[in-house]
Amino acid sequence: MSKLIESKEGLRVLLMGNEAIARGALEAGVKVAAGYPGTPSSEIIENLSRVAKDRNLYVEWSTNEKISLEVAAAASFAELRAICPMKQNGVNVASDFLLHLAGSGTRGGLVLVSCDDPGALSSANEGESRHFARMVEIPLLEPGDFQEAKDMTKWAFELSEEIRNIVMVRSVTRMSHASGNVWFGGLPERDAKATFRFDGPLLDPESGSVSSLPVGYSHPVQQGKIKKAQEIFEKSPFNTYQGPKKPELLVITSSVCNLYCREAIHLLGLKDRVGLLKLGTTWPLPLKLLKKYLSVADKVLIVEEVIPFLEESVKILAAEQAKEIGVKTFYGKKEGTIPMTGELNADLVASAFSRIMGIPYTPMEAGYEKRSKSAAGSMAPGRDLTFCPGCPHRASYWSIHKALQMDNRKGFVCGDIGCYSLGLYPAGFRAVKTHHAMGSGLGLATGFGQLNAFGMDQPVVAVCGDSTFFHAALPALVNAVHHRAKVTLVVFDNGGTAMTGFQPHPGLTVNAMGQEAPSLNIARICEAMGAKVETRDPFDLEETRTTLNRLIEEEGVKVLILRQICALSPEKKGKKRYTMRVEETRCLGEACSCNRLCTRIFRCPGLVWDAGRKKSRIDEVICAGCGVCADICPASAIIREEAA
Amino acid sequence: MKINIMGQKELNKEVREAKFCTGCGACVNLCPYQASYQDEVVMLHPCDLKEGGCYAFCPRTPTDLEALKRRLFDVKDLTPEMGAMKDFYIARAADAEIRAKGQHGGTVTALMTVALQEGIIDTAIIADEGRNLLPQGMAVRDTDEVRKRGKSRFVVSPNIAEFNRLAKEGGKKIGIVATPCQGLALAKMRLKPIAAYADRIDQLKLVIGLFCGWALSWRNLVALLRQKTDLTEIEGMDIPPSKYHILQVYTKKGSLDISLDEINPCVRGACWYCPDLTAEFSDISVGSARLSEGWEEARNWNQVVVRTARGQQLLNLAKERGLLEFREVPGGNLKKLKTASMSKKKTAVKNLTLRSRDPENLFYLDSKDPVLGPLAGRHE
Repeated sequence: MSKLIESKEGLRVLLMGNEAIARGALEAGVKVAAGYPGTPSSEIIENLSRVAKDRNLYVEWSTNEKISLEVAAAASFAELRAICPMKQNGVNVASDFLLHLAGSGTRGGLVLVSCDDPGALSSANEGESRHFARMVEIPLLEPGDFQEAKDMTKWAFELSEEIRNIVMVRSVTRMSHASGNVWFGGLPERDAKATFRFDGPLLDPESGSVSSLPVGYSHPVQQGKIKKAQEIFEKSPFNTYQGPKKPELLVITSSVCNLYCREAIHLLGLKDRVGLLKLGTTWPLPLKLLKKYLSVADKVLIVEEVIPFLEESVKILAAEQAKEIGVKTFYGKKEGTIPMTGELNADLVASAFSRIMGIPYTPMEAGYEKRSKSAAGSMAPGRDLTFCPGCPHRASYWSIHKALQMDNRKGFVCGDIGCYSLGLYPAGFRAVKTHHAMGSGLGLATGFGQLNAFGMDQPVVAVCGDSTFFHAALPALVNAVHHRAKVTLVVFDNGGTAMTGFQPHPGLTVNAMGQEAPSLNIARICEAMGAKVETRDPFDLEETRTTLNRLIEEEGVKVLILRQICALSPEKKGKKRYTMRVEETRCLGEACSCNRLCTRIFRCPGLVWDAGRKKSRIDEVICAGCGVCADICPASAIIREEAA
Repeated sequence: MKINIMGQKELNKEVREAKFCTGCGACVNLCPYQASYQDEVVMLHPCDLKEGGCYAFCPRTPTDLEALKRRLFDVKDLTPEMGAMKDFYIARAADAEIRAKGQHGGTVTALMTVALQEGIIDTAIIADEGRNLLPQGMAVRDTDEVRKRGKSRFVVSPNIAEFNRLAKEGGKKIGIVATPCQGLALAKMRLKPIAAYADRIDQLKLVIGLFCGWALSWRNLVALLRQKTDLTEIEGMDIPPSKYHILQVYTKKGSLDISLDEINPCVRGACWYCPDLTAEFSDISVGSARLSEGWEEARNWNQVVVRTARGQQLLNLAKERGLLEFREVPGGNLKKLKTASMSKKKTAVKNLTLRSRDPENLFYLDSKDPVLGPLAGRHE
């Protein structure tokens, strides 16, 4: 049984931030959860899907984030509580519906959870979702510790119902993926009844139509909701102050930065000199509360990650209230005390205190990281940013790269989001030359595929994973076919949403709750759209390469599906197809004209250069037994034998 | 001329990116880093070796042609106009069927047949027709296989790549049909500049050179021909004497004459920098004949330049075995050929100096070469 459905109140459990959010939703009686996998958000849906049966929930991995929000919103319209978690980039995808939804309002409590990724630890950008709350005019909550992650999520449903609009909860990687102690509250009744009422007066929020029209009526209504939220925030227990009555420095912060600030204050012994105003409700800001604390200090430091969202809001408020609270000196990102990019930590915050207050503090010196890396280099093996042993992407890129080199017209790959983003790097032989949002690979390739008229004869290949294909590549494929773009799409079909942990997608026969589901056939979809489709096994390098060279030359939209299951897939159960070994008499090592092709270029971690013997060998512990390297050795020294 | 052997990086910069690559295949199949595709040589992955066979053997990396000639030929046979020459003939295959299946007089087919029959070689590397006019280097051991592949290809066949593949296996006696650039590549291999490959070249027993004005770029040629005919209809091609100014394409439906004005843009750019018309680095070289009776007669004959003792031996054997027949060399023929050969050298040097804007800089050729240097306008 999942610890998340432990009904005992007052129990203290060590929870990951995302588990705390899931527990908060369960304590709020959530009935529907829909999202799309994306680090660092995926564990919320995963945990809810595990308890779906016990707690009578409907949980789905939707095709993309916009659809997940629509699915969750439908539940809200039918008076159920619903949650919709996604990573920061997902909010961009969902934002079109989100703007309309914010205008139409909601019924059952509806909470959008965005897990941002400052420092882009597992993202292609460190985009900020907080701005969406201001942009679409909905309340924004940011938990400052693990208990709050649970409590605030639960409260977000209540707030949503009170103001009749969607509420956004924003977490970050270090909140979602770190763990802390959480005291449980109780779990409500399992049963709930869904009804969509629409036969009341047209504009009635409980029984009319759900629409942002007429805008002239609904927009002021929506802004009234935000005003109401602001009043509620004035008394929110999630906004706390710690410190002296008249601090030398007022620190305003939110989210996980709260923990960094507390640590820095403790580190420098500043609890009697620095006041810490931790805000849980960061949009709209509680005016009276801010006024109260801004009045007592002249110096104000705003501590937050990435873009100065809180800083700008506070400065606007301070400017408007300057007559009453006086003129302040602000420290933060604009003035340069806090970095504009990347994650923060206690060290960076302590350095900021030291600079502003003239306190001696020796931060981690610049050379520390370098020294620690070199120390690690002599003790630990080097770790490339690379594909796993036996990863089908390495084989796929090997063939794509070779096909494009052979074609010799400076062909290139428009990449996409997934493990195969590594195609930008030596792991993928640097085949990928553009890399943007999900589905953008094919969209860009479609555009490039129209530039023939301007003398561009470079072949264009787009790649996308099976899950990405459904998420956002479909409209681009329609566009490419309809406009006769000359483009080749390679679908890396590895049988799941591998990068985020094998969540199912519409191409599979199972759904998030483990039930059987009809699977959609990528090849048949592409064919129906009018593309020419071929399917190959990427482990057959030569067949893949020759097919690709042929398709590249052909007019129109071609789709090559490279199907091979992910090396880490639970379906594989760690079974090796081949036992691999290097025949020492054949491997000539440095004397071979191959110049260490297998360990210098192919670079599967399962292949090791034995510096002592000056030959290659197989690392049997991590070799996945895919057999591909046997086909790249020009001396036929890598031997593949069927595993017993 | 000082020759520094370098690696793939320099080869890529000085030859491929400079558009000097002839597609000969000399850098292919030595290692996994270069490949032939269509009629181009491509780099698959970067190689960081400082010195490579790829650079050492390339006919378009700096070469001291004069030193090479003195090393490989009898010095007294050397002519400034067309390299070593022991003798000059007008010849053709005695067998009319060989002539019909071959190009012009079918002399190359007859010579390769003799070489195989007499055991001078056990493997012949020749150009196979391939698909869509894209020839491939092919190793054959049977004279019947040679006879099936006697036609000239107007696109480069990477025969040296096939040589590299075979020579790696070892233990063979190899004869090869080579264009001038390919002959030069093999000559550079014979100097054994790279220890790892030194033994392989000893398997080379015979080089039959082909006269070559230029090769065509496959992509361009095919694009042009597709406008005019179905590629599967094409049975052969030829270039009659210059006064016709055409490329003749023989199809199942008859002959198609294409003006050289249309063909010139299809010429492989690298060929405009080649100083060798008559495949000077070969044992024996063969081209189409020019006769006073006119093209209808001349097209059934070949001009043959014997350059080495091995070449002479082969020609004599072919004569003795009745595989080749000869006719008198018309007066002035050799002089005309020498003029044509010098004309190609002048064009190459002119084109190179137009690029470098410096008579001292002929890229891969030596501006102090006794034949080419003076053509660059340098006088001592």
